[in-house]
Amino acid sequence: MDMNDLIKKRGVPYPLCEVDIFSASDHDLLNISASMGLNLSLNELYEVRDYFKARDRLPTDIELQSIAQAWSEHCCYKSSKVFLREHIFSIQHPDVLAKGDAGVMIFDEEYAYALRLESHNHPSSIEPYGGAATGIGGIIRDVLAMGAQPIALVDPLFFGPPSTKEIPPGTKSPKYLIQGVVSGIRDYGNRIGVPTVAGGVFFDPSYTSNCLVNVGCIGFLRRDKLLKNAVRGVGDVLILAGGYTGRDGIHGVTLASAELDGSPEEDSHGSVQLGNPIMKEPLIHACLEINERGLVSGIKDLGGGGLSCVVGEISLAGGCGAEVELDHVLLKEKGLAPWEIWVSESQERMMLATPEENIDEVMEIFDLWDIPATVIGRVIKEQKVYITYQEEIIYELDLDFLTTGPEYCRPCAPPSPSAMEKFISPTLPDDLNAVILSTLADPNIASKDWVMLQYDREVRASTIVGPRQGRVGLHGPGDGVVIKPLTDSNRGLAIAVGVNPWFTSLDPYNGGRSAVDEVCRNIASVGGRAHALTDCMNFGNPEKPERLYEFSEAVRGIGEMARAMNLAVPSGNVSFYNETAQGAILPTPTCLGVGIVEDVRKCVTTDLKRAQNPIYIIGETKEEMGASLLYRRYGGKGGRVPEVDPVALSQNVDVVLKAGQADLLKSCHDCSDGGLAITLAEMCLGGDLGLRLDLSDMGEFNFKTKLFSESNSRFVVEVDAARRSEFENLAPDAIYLGMVDQDKRMVIHDGTEKISVKVPAMRRAWNDTMWRLMK
Amino acid sequence: MNSTDVRIGIIRIEGTNCEQEIFDTFRALDTNPEMVHLKQLIGNCSPSMGRDLDDYHMIVFPGGSSAGDYVRAGAIFAARIRNKLGPEIQNFIASGKPVLGIGNGFQVLLELGVLPSPDDAMIDKPQAALHTNESARFECRPTYLKHENHGKCLFTSQLPRGEMVLFPCAHAEGNLKFHIEEEEEMLRLLEENDQIVFRYVDPDGNYAGYPWNPNGSIDNIAGICNSEGNVLGLMPHPERVIFRYQHPDWTRDQDFNAPGDGRVIFTSALEHIVKHY
Repeated sequence: MDMNDLIKKRGVPYPLCEVDIFSASDHDLLNISASMGLNLSLNELYEVRDYFKARDRLPTDIELQSIAQAWSEHCCYKSSKVFLREHIFSIQHPDVLAKGDAGVMIFDEEYAYALRLESHNHPSSIEPYGGAATGIGGIIRDVLAMGAQPIALVDPLFFGPPSTKEIPPGTKSPKYLIQGVVSGIRDYGNRIGVPTVAGGVFFDPSYTSNCLVNVGCIGFLRRDKLLKNAVRGVGDVLILAGGYTGRDGIHGVTLASAELDGSPEEDSHGSVQLGNPIMKEPLIHACLEINERGLVSGIKDLGGGGLSCVVGEISLAGGCGAEVELDHVLLKEKGLAPWEIWVSESQERMMLATPEENIDEVMEIFDLWDIPATVIGRVIKEQKVYITYQEEIIYELDLDFLTTGPEYCRPCAPPSPSAMEKFISPTLPDDLNAVILSTLADPNIASKDWVMLQYDREVRASTIVGPRQGRVGLHGPGDGVVIKPLTDSNRGLAIAVGVNPWFTSLDPYNGGRSAVDEVCRNIASVGGRAHALTDCMNFGNPEKPERLYEFSEAVRGIGEMARAMNLAVPSGNVSFYNETAQGAILPTPTCLGVGIVEDVRKCVTTDLKRAQNPIYIIGETKEEMGASLLYRRYGGKGGRVPEVDPVALSQNVDVVLKAGQADLLKSCHDCSDGGLAITLAEMCLGGDLGLRLDLSDMGEFNFKTKLFSESNSRFVVEVDAARRSEFENLAPDAIYLGMVDQDKRMVIHDGTEKISVKVPAMRRAWNDTMWRLMK
Repeated sequence: MNSTDVRIGIIRIEGTNCEQEIFDTFRALDTNPEMVHLKQLIGNCSPSMGRDLDDYHMIVFPGGSSAGDYVRAGAIFAARIRNKLGPEIQNFIASGKPVLGIGNGFQVLLELGVLPSPDDAMIDKPQAALHTNESARFECRPTYLKHENHGKCLFTSQLPRGEMVLFPCAHAEGNLKFHIEEEEEMLRLLEENDQIVFRYVDPDGNYAGYPWNPNGSIDNIAGICNSEGNVLGLMPHPERVIFRYQHPDWTRDQDFNAPGDGRVIFTSALEHIVKHY
């Protein structure tokens, strides 16, 4: 049938259509879905038809659009839920206070912290500056909705190599994307006054046509101020506060739930929102003030799906429904159709459920900050949402129908054995000194100062261990960062990211496990014990069985490790369809961990401190070179990906923390990308000191394996020379490697001298790469 | 008077975002700070929220990106102050009470014309500007400053001349410039009036270029005061280094709880207030 016969305008003086899904054939239904941008499958459309048939009326466009938002992969996790339920949701932890827009965990008797990590991949691939900026805006709102003050931002980013010459049609050059994304984060994060403290920048050709922008936020709150993202009941009104609503960000979630097709960008540009940090900054103050004064029942942020998701969710979470007068939504421009108002993802908006008697006081606070706010509806007992527009009812949906989205158990299968990578040994030059210098200059290892110096890492003055560690002007990289959230307490929060897409690609299960191992290591290195994880699972198209297999295995690995290490996972995010005609991205399970530092005075950094201090390695080194940086750089393929033994990890973490508590450690750095060689080199950079080591005691295996294996659960520590025996009693299995040396040279023996590299040469190699590539 | 009676007004609008750490600083020093929105000072709010500038012993213009800094940094904030609060600010300064502008707050003071103001008046047009950093990048990095003031500036009375301090900077527009034809005369006047307070130096204490001078500022100037010495503007952030543990290298065997390099700015001002009011 002709679309015009199926989608008929109702006789009202504004754009509103009824959609005749009753007379539509299967073919017509799919056409309707495509022409309205619903991205619903045929079976989903049948379910919608049944619902309206039972009520004997045709749906309006705003109703269909609303269902499409709620049932999108992005909003209802329909492909991932079955795996998350088994491995993640079932994890119990006594310190979880809330699992809402962000997870909330106990900090101490009086305070709590909030954490969440999510993706803003598709918008950032289309419009990097706006996509990244609004990603920050969104994650800030998630934390704010719990009643928490945002205190730190964490942004792991994944791009094609900046040197990429061949750009596939319809995609933008990695350099342009890096510039845009970093500028977006800088301009938004710096303007709202929340420090960007951690993240990482990762490069691989698989991200060239689909970059990943993961945005994380940590918040802090008094426990008695914790908000639920729910109305309290009848008597509450719904106040929409913040930015005006416009046509920007329409269909963001349905776009994020399909592959990018490389079509001309005009098609999808409207799906990217516009950010306004100078609306967000006062919105934070105002919401926190309103919460502080106890004026609000619950707050929820407007993210994916806009009003269409938030009104239903905040009402149903309180066991209620809502009546909305859509005319009361303040608009950026005239002429928006009701459905556009309802699904718009315009930025800087928060929904507050407030007892009616508090309206004046709430409005006074918004007014001081010049923040537009209006009452757009009220809570009702019936679990339904009604919308009126110009006094006509245009929408009436049951919340259990709307919010109980479909759930799939899609086919999931490992790749065929023939598709598995055959083992190829890498071809290394004879000069291992050159290998070390070249590896330090690898974009995945090299200094990220080009990025980090643009972020305000210290605003709020509570970043007491930052990402650049060592002498001022001569730093090296750190493992974790530490925030001291209270001026009058020495309890701190350690923050770190763990992810290894290359491990995950070769072995998704161990890739997931390794990500958690890395988080625990990074947090222990600075003196914290990992406490909570939030994950952002970036994968390809889940409708392809081998992609879903990668996802399910990575989730299994993360879940098992979280249980074994007693970590809560109070929030998380899944981003599928990171796939284009050029193929899928490397499977990328990003884990953001937060740890508790009992006493921040005991924090340890990675930079070597003093000549003559002894150096040890803690943890077993194994022949685990698969997907290692060495193999990737020098043509190796296949091989064993590092496994994780959580018992060994726990023991090693305990040793590091005990030694730190006893003030025995002067520096500590985990072994990660590039293995022991890079760990040692980075420790030299920050301290501007050398090392004289002999690896003989590590055992009778290949020197290159000792240097470059990326086995998990390992730490290198510098111990106070005067207290060597105390350390050796505490850590009998630690292997002594040698000493810190005044001579600025890293000298490594394995029986005979094998490595001798000057620290200034290593510094040049490490420092220059990004500046050169981004010129 | 006691320090607990000292009232500090930290003036904010949308986008000022360093007020929390300034507030924490004054709390740590046992004074009575308050964050106050500009609208509360000009009466554009409910009566219960209204505040009077004269109730404060000191005011601070914090760092951040007031009103987004979408035009020249600090320009919008300054224009709103000039319109609605100009005479009150002028009286406050004339009374000798301390006024501090950090980062974006320094930019505001320049835009207002209360700095450098060698002839001690609020002037209609700015005499200096903080231009885009020479690197054309936002620069968040530690900077070393040498104290250059001979005694006029009340904010550095407790800091010996020639002493070096580490304050972090975080800004995109910190490159101090004068009108090109007045440049020489201006520098001479500032020297003559003892208005130069801090200059950027390298870790060895030498005047140096980028990155130790993070923005290309003329004559390595990082902070200046007015000719009376009661108004200080500087780009780096002393409020971020009140304790040693806020220094970037404190894990290198430094005393965790020792005062940070920035504290002296605030204790000097407090000493002045306690003595005079």
